[in-house]
Amino acid sequence: MIVVRDLRKTYRVPQRDPGFAGAFRSLWKRTYKEVRAVDGISFDIAPGERVGFLGPNGAGKTTTLKMLAGLLRPTAGTLEVQGHQPGARAVEFLEQITLVMGQKQQLLWDLPPRDTFELNRALYQIPDAQFRETLAELTEMLSLGELVARPTRNLSLGERMKCELAAALLHRPRVLFLDEPTIGLDVVMQLQVRQFIAQWNERFHSTVLLTSHYMDDVQALCPRVLVIDQGVLRFDGLLVDLVTRMKPLRRVLVRLPRDFAGGLPEPFRAEGESWVADVAPTEVGHAVQRAFALCPGLDLRVEEPPLEQVFAAFFQERKAT
Amino acid sequence: MSRSGSIASAFDSPMAVLRALPAMFRVATAQLSAYRAEILIWILSATMPLVMLALWDAVAEGGPVAGMDQGDMARYFTVTLVARQIMSAWLSWELNPLIRTGGLSPHLLRPLSPIWYYLVQHLTHIPLRALVLVPLVAALVVWRPEMGLQTEPSRLLAFSVACMLGFLLNFLSHVFFGALAFWTGQSQGLFMAWFGLWSLLGGYLMPVRLMPEWVGTLNAYLPFRAMLSVPIEIGAGLLPESEWLAALGHQCLWVVAFAIIAIGTWQRGLRRYEAFGA
Repeated sequence: MIVVRDLRKTYRVPQRDPGFAGAFRSLWKRTYKEVRAVDGISFDIAPGERVGFLGPNGAGKTTTLKMLAGLLRPTAGTLEVQGHQPGARAVEFLEQITLVMGQKQQLLWDLPPRDTFELNRALYQIPDAQFRETLAELTEMLSLGELVARPTRNLSLGERMKCELAAALLHRPRVLFLDEPTIGLDVVMQLQVRQFIAQWNERFHSTVLLTSHYMDDVQALCPRVLVIDQGVLRFDGLLVDLVTRMKPLRRVLVRLPRDFAGGLPEPFRAEGESWVADVAPTEVGHAVQRAFALCPGLDLRVEEPPLEQVFAAFFQERKAT
Repeated sequence: MSRSGSIASAFDSPMAVLRALPAMFRVATAQLSAYRAEILIWILSATMPLVMLALWDAVAEGGPVAGMDQGDMARYFTVTLVARQIMSAWLSWELNPLIRTGGLSPHLLRPLSPIWYYLVQHLTHIPLRALVLVPLVAALVVWRPEMGLQTEPSRLLAFSVACMLGFLLNFLSHVFFGALAFWTGQSQGLFMAWFGLWSLLGGYLMPVRLMPEWVGTLNAYLPFRAMLSVPIEIGAGLLPESEWLAALGHQCLWVVAFAIIAIGTWQRGLRRYEAFGA
């Protein structure tokens, strides 16, 4: 269980005027600016939930994850993860969580991943039988194979991320904080990592809080999303509700057979070689029926609006208000 | 009461540390072997005592300096070389970039303080360093047989204990200076200033007895003698056997003081850690 109430984090950032004069002045007189990275957010996450934490760059996602993982201390507000205050960094807390950062690694660079696994076994005091069992499961689910025996520096980015995930999960944490776990990976590897996270969540009922700029990750993994912008929580609810709210229309795409003369009536309109209608979800059936009635041999597809467009619309709306 | 994942509370839970030790040693040794060539060169580059020996040997050619002839100088700097190598620490150099770039974050997520692993890493270097020293010391003995290295078991034992205490002091001072980066972002400059004082007042550049008397008086209140000079004084025969225990006790007191300061600074620093980087 994760409980967050009125969480705030303010950074003090040094300011310097540009150019040589600014650099010289800052040698003895330094000015600071307060930046509110997280500005009073509250939410709860139930055990076993998979939640997407979304927002543009600099919105406060990673700062929040770091506070939840006990790396950063909040400026104000309260946090509780599995009954612990993360900032206290109690051993029982650290044993129950993990934070995977797409751009930071715990694998020892010059040694094979299995050495990092061995170190984690000792540091987390994982019983031998459980270690062997979990490692075997991870090896199978992530197709690690002989990767664990190659020096980390010789692994590709995707192979390294799979090993990072394994290292982070050997102690079977109850809560997974995943910060851009698929960043920089090719589509095949993204899919593998995504499938693995879903499987792991189902297998161990761990809570997952995930940030990602890849909307496919969110769509595949997170029924619920938290949307944060400029440190403020803008949306907390089901992804499907957000999509309906921001892009309420579905797109019906029709390709008519070459030998069909004429077109389709309103609400369809011609777009290149296709006919397109943007209709409410309740009107999709009606539109499809009308099209088929006119031309039974057509090729038809109904599309949900791409999540990228949903979020672009969401943040544009926020800017406008 | 919950155990907190910091070095101080790891002292509260020595079993956790003890159980993790064998694996930490195995992995640290594997890391050592991955870098063995570079580490060897690094060890060989720490030859300041040899440079100082050449200098003071030339000075003593005209006659003893403060009662130390060429043989005494050779013995002094040979022991200094050994003590320096065994007591080497470098943690602040690693902590600075880890703190500044947020690279420390993955290490802090583990339930045992990363300081323990760093300590084990340092310890695994000692046997390799000792091995490299054997031919170096042999060459020096051949060059100046009159140095008369004293190797009776009691001296070797006291020297070893003094070196381990000196190593702990050096390591803890690195924890302290490394942790200062939680406030300043970079603390190598401060460490280098400290290193300058250590080199001078610890007897690295010259025997402390060659310095003015007031330096010796001042030194009694500073940690540098405990950090370097005590092992040298015991190993080079400059300290009567009757005073060894007092000197080791003096070192122990500084270890306690350094541990309190270093751990306190590390823990306070952790509260300020900004975990930079995505």
